[in-house]
Amino acid sequence: MGVKIGASAPDFTAEAYHQGSIKKVRLADLRGRWVILFFYPADFTCV
Amino acid sequence: MVPGGVRFPMLSDPGGRIGALYGVYDEERRLDLRGRFIVDPEGNLQSMEIVSVQVGRNVTEVLRQLRALRHQQETGELMPCGWEPGKPTLPREAEASKLSGEVWKNWKPRNAFS
Repeated sequence: MGVKIGASAPDFTAEAYHQGSIKKVRLADLRGRWVILFFYPADFTCV
Repeated sequence: MVPGGVRFPMLSDPGGRIGALYGVYDEERRLDLRGRFIVDPEGNLQSMEIVSVQVGRNVTEVLRQLRALRHQQETGELMPCGWEPGKPTLPREAEASKLSGEVWKNWKPRNAFS
């Protein structure tokens, strides 16, 4: 698929922690909203 | 650490599967790099940035881009360099062609800076 500006962002499903519970998050379910995907390598790197 | 707790979902990406899909998984370090992507309400990718691991991101810029992209989609206007709410925009592309060589009347280079 790949990432390309202007094209569909690759869909995925992931387990997530959100305000006290574990749930599944799927990118396609977020249509209708702006989404920021913010990857990071590890907790507490201070960067 | 955050009053009221973190408001957004924090996803798990075991093995960098999602990172690989987005081109940010570092095979040698076995970590996701600090990639940042903005996806619009139609599911289309509108912005992306990855920075070398030793240098952190600029969150103000992420929010600036989000606001600029939203404004652009809602109004069809063009968003010049460094646009922030309150700064001038440029008219839709069809009208903007009339501005060739004349943009300086509506927009100054200092607008590009915060």
